[in-house]
Amino acid sequence: MNPQILQDLQAFHPEMTITLTLLAVIVVDLAAPSIRKSATFFITGFGLLLALAFTVPLYRAAQGTLFYGMVALDPMAIFFKGFLILTSFLVLLAAPGSKELSKDHIGEFYVLLLGVTLGMVLLASAADLLMLFVSLETVSLGSYVMVGYLSNQRESNEASLKYLLFGAVSTGCMLYGITLLFGLTGTTKMAQIRDLIAQGAASGNNSLTLLVAVVLVLAGFGFKTAAVPFHFWCPDVYTGAPTPVTAFLSVAPKAAGFATLIRFFFTGLSRTSVVGVQWSAFAAVNWTLLVLMISVVTMTLGNIAALRQENMKRMLAYSSIAHAGYILMGPVVLSPLGLQAVLVYLICYLFMNLGAFLVVIEVYNRTGSFDLRDYRGLWRRSPFLTISMTVFMLSLMGIPPLAGFFGKLYVFAAAVNQNLAWYAVVGAVNSVVAVYYYARVIKAMILDASAQGSEGGAIRLSWTSQVLVWIMLLPTAGLMLFWDYIQQLTGGSMRLFFG
Amino acid sequence: MIGLVHYLVISAALFSLGIMAVLTRKNAVNVLMGVELILNSANINLVAFSRFSSVDLNGQVYAIFVIVIAAAEAAVGLAIVLSMYRLMKSVDLDKADSLRG
Amino acid sequence: MTQIVFYFFAAMTVLSAVVVVFSRNLIHSAFALLFTFFGVAALYVFLGADFLAGTQMVIYVGGILVLLIFGVMVTHKLYDMRLKSETYQFWPGLALVTIVFLTLVGVMLRTTWHSRGARALDPTTAAIGELFMKEYILPFELASIFLVIALIGAAMIVRRRSE
Repeated sequence: MNPQILQDLQAFHPEMTITLTLLAVIVVDLAAPSIRKSATFFITGFGLLLALAFTVPLYRAAQGTLFYGMVALDPMAIFFKGFLILTSFLVLLAAPGSKELSKDHIGEFYVLLLGVTLGMVLLASAADLLMLFVSLETVSLGSYVMVGYLSNQRESNEASLKYLLFGAVSTGCMLYGITLLFGLTGTTKMAQIRDLIAQGAASGNNSLTLLVAVVLVLAGFGFKTAAVPFHFWCPDVYTGAPTPVTAFLSVAPKAAGFATLIRFFFTGLSRTSVVGVQWSAFAAVNWTLLVLMISVVTMTLGNIAALRQENMKRMLAYSSIAHAGYILMGPVVLSPLGLQAVLVYLICYLFMNLGAFLVVIEVYNRTGSFDLRDYRGLWRRSPFLTISMTVFMLSLMGIPPLAGFFGKLYVFAAAVNQNLAWYAVVGAVNSVVAVYYYARVIKAMILDASAQGSEGGAIRLSWTSQVLVWIMLLPTAGLMLFWDYIQQLTGGSMRLFFG
Repeated sequence: MIGLVHYLVISAALFSLGIMAVLTRKNAVNVLMGVELILNSANINLVAFSRFSSVDLNGQVYAIFVIVIAAAEAAVGLAIVLSMYRLMKSVDLDKADSLRG
Repeated sequence: MTQIVFYFFAAMTVLSAVVVVFSRNLIHSAFALLFTFFGVAALYVFLGADFLAGTQMVIYVGGILVLLIFGVMVTHKLYDMRLKSETYQFWPGLALVTIVFLTLVGVMLRTTWHSRGARALDPTTAAIGELFMKEYILPFELASIFLVIALIGAAMIVRRRSE
């Protein structure tokens, strides 16, 4: 076998582990029904933990590309690898506890989860446009199927159809944009595209072509991160999908979308500066302006639309759209602090968002409803769930000293640092508007009388559910304690490989 | 003399027609046909650029991957459409409105 | 002579695509799509992509198109042979798409594309095979996992639930 490929495999242990776990789960799922549920669960969990364990030593590995320039190995890629595998593991823990997922065929759900994880991990480190496309499609296709998991329920089915049709068109447009880039430069490697554009492949008339190509490619990225105007699938899909899938979608594929957006724009379309401190976009295409406009519209529209929602999942869908708008502030400012802000925000977002969805799952398990009205008086039925949800809502609002505050602090600081103070102000105003719909949930849970909302006795959670909520709660509330570590981690991870 | 531009115009036409199908058609299978047109137009671009713009067969290999992905997407899409037909006895996208908030 | 054949296939591709998009009868659309795929395969032959043309015919016509026609047939009541398909927002959509088309054509014509001298038209199959095993081995392996996911997913969605 080719010695270079063999050598590259040394740095590829996490992905190989995920693949082998996937195959193992497929085989084990053929066993008898009584043992396959728990067997597949434990195999998947063990496999993901092992992959996470393999990711850690890679952090110190040399920078470079693997497999003939397909995949980049740099601190940012390793960070996202760990982040995405961790998210999948946490969603895996939540999956058996949800009444929505069919117990009989849950092995297939795990297979899909593993496949999507593999795709996301490769998407976050893709350094070649072909690799980007194939891994993006893997993630998307797996997601379409996971959303349609409840194929005998109308909402789930509709959600997956809308998701597929919208996603197929978006990635088709992105592919067309990629072909234009290919035509301009004759190559699909991001690093070579950057070099060729720097040498003038996009001068004169070609700059319009480059603009068209970038707009089309943004269609694909906008779809994955649910940014306006590519967000139309988001509320319907989040509402119709089984809630563990919604929780997963709101964090992991979105994060992978951000990772690849950063890598595409920074290593493909930005001038690397000599000093290595500040980047600048090419004069040929002012992509920062495009992303800035998208970001502003996204956070505004997401927040305004969330104000009227009565369905918890739909509200959280618009909330996650708004958060994508905040996160996009990071790449726009083109500074290392901006990139670090994205990583910090994602860490905070992971725990508070998954936590919120966990509470929604638990409430659904007991009441069968996602309606805000059925959260009234939850304080009486389960103080633990109420307090946890309050913490998650406050964190999503951005109240210090909870995690959400730090995420917002970093993105706003990054904007102000680059003389884009007005941008930070827009973000701050949006955060204030958002307080209303998060506070509405807290008010319903604690203050509303239990007139019709909370008949039924106390909600007692299984110990696994309690542990899971604590896992989400502790980082959300206590992130401040680990602040040095987080800073160090994200500060070291924002380096990309430009070669 | 047939040049690169001829192929690009054909692919632009297919791309626009595909978008038209996606935007205006109500039948889900028709929308899937539109998606296939879009992917085919991108493929024509890739192969044409491979011939005229790149030093090796990059574009053709890319086109093979796109064909594979398009096939799988169409299969899953039709599975979902079939499931929808079973539930609602229709594949009209106007009837897919149970999620409106 | 080659030019005439080229224009014939180009016209066939685009005109059948027009039928796919604008026809009111679903079966007409599906069969017009057949001619579109065939025309695209012919264009690949003109570009020297012999393996790709064969793959296009086998997978697109022999696989995807059959699946689409199957989908059309199954999702209509058998006695309702009209198989009509309606549209909405036709004129705004047409206007938008015309703008898109004109923009794209304008861009295509005015750009100086990256160019390289003409290459001899060798058979490509062996070269593509080598590329798959060397430069493109990672996407190749990922694509196989992708297909496993698609298989399991499609089967999972269509399977009849016992409930």
